[in-house]
Amino acid sequence: MHDAILLKNIHKTFGATKAVTDLDLAIPRGALYGFIGPNGAGKTTTIRMIMAILFPDSGELSILGHRSALEAKRRIGYLPEERGVYRKMRVGPFLTFMARLKGVPEADIAGRIKRGLARVGLADAERKRCEELSKGTQQKIQFIAAIIHQPDLLILDEPFSGLDPVSSRSLRDLVLEEHARGATILFSTHVMPHAEELCDHVVMIHKGQKVLDDPVDAIRRRYDPRVIEFDPLDPHADLSPLSAIPEVEDVIRTDHGCKVVLRPGASAPSVMPRLAIAVPPARIEIARPTLEEVFVKLVGA
Amino acid sequence: MKNILLVASREFIATVSTKAFIIGLLVMPLMIGLSAIIFPRLLNPRNFKTSGEVAIVDPTGRAMADVRSAFAPERMAERRDEQARQILNQAPAAVQQMAQTRSPQMAAAMATATAASDLRLLERPPTADVQKEKAWLLEQTDTRHLALIVMHDNAVIPGTDNAYGSYDAYLPANTDDRALGEIQQALQEAIVNARTRARGLDRSQIESLVRVTRGRSITVTKDSERNTVRGINQLLPIAFIMLMFMGVMTGGQAMLTSTVEEKSSRVMEVLLSALSPMELLAGKMLGQLGVSAIVLGLYIAAGLALLVSFALFGLLNPWLIVYLIIFFLLTYLTFGSLMVSIGAVVNDMREAQSLMMPLMLLLTFPLWVWFPISMNPNSTFSTAISFVPPVNLFAMLIRVTSTAPPPWWQVWLSIGIGVAGVGAALWFASRVFKIGLLMYGKPPNFATLIRWARQA
Repeated sequence: MHDAILLKNIHKTFGATKAVTDLDLAIPRGALYGFIGPNGAGKTTTIRMIMAILFPDSGELSILGHRSALEAKRRIGYLPEERGVYRKMRVGPFLTFMARLKGVPEADIAGRIKRGLARVGLADAERKRCEELSKGTQQKIQFIAAIIHQPDLLILDEPFSGLDPVSSRSLRDLVLEEHARGATILFSTHVMPHAEELCDHVVMIHKGQKVLDDPVDAIRRRYDPRVIEFDPLDPHADLSPLSAIPEVEDVIRTDHGCKVVLRPGASAPSVMPRLAIAVPPARIEIARPTLEEVFVKLVGA
Repeated sequence: MKNILLVASREFIATVSTKAFIIGLLVMPLMIGLSAIIFPRLLNPRNFKTSGEVAIVDPTGRAMADVRSAFAPERMAERRDEQARQILNQAPAAVQQMAQTRSPQMAAAMATATAASDLRLLERPPTADVQKEKAWLLEQTDTRHLALIVMHDNAVIPGTDNAYGSYDAYLPANTDDRALGEIQQALQEAIVNARTRARGLDRSQIESLVRVTRGRSITVTKDSERNTVRGINQLLPIAFIMLMFMGVMTGGQAMLTSTVEEKSSRVMEVLLSALSPMELLAGKMLGQLGVSAIVLGLYIAAGLALLVSFALFGLLNPWLIVYLIIFFLLTYLTFGSLMVSIGAVVNDMREAQSLMMPLMLLLTFPLWVWFPISMNPNSTFSTAISFVPPVNLFAMLIRVTSTAPPPWWQVWLSIGIGVAGVGAALWFASRVFKIGLLMYGKPPNFATLIRWARQA
């Protein structure tokens, strides 16, 4: 089976600016990929090339087995970073127009619009003009437009930007529903915790170049910071016995306890029982590196 | 194709369902209709009231009696009536019939207007000092001093050289031309009457000898014969040009506006995720073509209805309508594609205005040259301009609707050049459109647009 998205040696420049350099990417069908990186890293340019809105200077693309997304547009859902609606149009006709463009059977359109609106808590918005809606609500309408044709591939460019926490959670649930339905999902974000929370695989891009392309768990394993979080049972306990253990390099005080930094090559599971003997703990666990920490480590602070 | 039709349908509905379109569609014919009704009444010379005093010095005294009768209010009213009759004789039969069957109230109103002049003749002594009388002319009083007339000595009886003189009219600075015209007509009548009487001739006999009523002009068509209506051949070219201009501007402007709005509201990228730029461009052009077709169709229908109501339909060669449709399609595609590409490269309407300036100059160029072309449809200038895109189709439309249409091969050669122009415009527009759609920031200049067209 083809990968949902396959990019080989993709280059894109705008004048003297190298937006994307030598990018390889393979996203298998049914995967949920996060595309992360700071602002200006080249995420949107890459996504626009995947969508055949921009074209690479060199390199090869395969989208759902086609040489261009143009040949598979009706199987792709897209929520662009620059979001917009026809301001004067009512929500119902706007979604109907988008559904027709995406080839949804005429008999299914009304039902899908009603279900989609109800799902995001906007059941009464069908007759409203788009300009009457808040920016967040317009974003939800656009998300419905992106999934109304039940796409095989869903590409979301910064889908959570500008949303309040409740709307953000609601949208996150919708993304997971689409993934559960079987859609391949690629979403970009510069907010690393979003990717960490949702994705099973992350592609990190910096200055147009891929710096990371791994499952989230593998990333955490690989970038293990050798830190054990330790909260003593007695908040006022003397922590100096921890420093006496040979594998311990440093003990850093925190609000509730300390962080125990191990020497290179030390095994956390073997050190943890000795820490517990030295000072009785209330909590002891291996610290999980965040994507943000990994990113900082990879590209330098 | 389905996507193109979907975009076209959205564009069409979004444009024709706006209040601005509906009002604009109705306002234009309404304005033309009101102008047709109101302006003739406002400008009707019969409505003008000549009011004031005219002083006359006749050193010989030979013309004074006739001047007196020529300036009599009832005689002045008769002259106005005579003028109106002459104008009416030139009008189409339907207009003449309307005038004959006018309501009694209207007739009464017109009669009132006819007796509008209120001129008082002041007879000065034959030896009056002209310089002093000029001072009278400049006096500020409640009654206006309209003119000082000084008859020449030989105005009625020729001098030793057997030549007749006339008169000098001294006027204040702000004299109305219509008042002067009415005074001159009265003086002419008075002098001619005085001269014929001095010669012992009968003026009515002389008038019947020298007056030849204008012969009946009959326009012969394949199907019928009818009284010739003068002026329609001069009006036809400008009417057709205006129709084409309105059609192109309606669709082109709407296309420009909708593209700018789609860009500024950021809906463009959503659309581009569902269809290609070319589908979007084609859909927009098709949709707005429908809008233009409605405008053009309505105005053509209204024009034809007007011709039918005045029994002038037979004067219009049906081929002219066919040419109008062909020329409109080609001109719409040329200018429309350029306008939509401008919409794609700018961020707002203000930026669009500056890039639109050269296009507007080209579009309005035919309005400046319609008169010389329609007066000399086969001059070197008229012929040459008929083959210079993108204004060639306007020029050719003026020529085919003129009194001396060009040979058919010139018409079709111009159409061929128009088709090539459409191809070039679409090629340029499609490339610029594709690149410009997602470009934000500083709008490009023409050099950049040309570079984009080459690179795309």
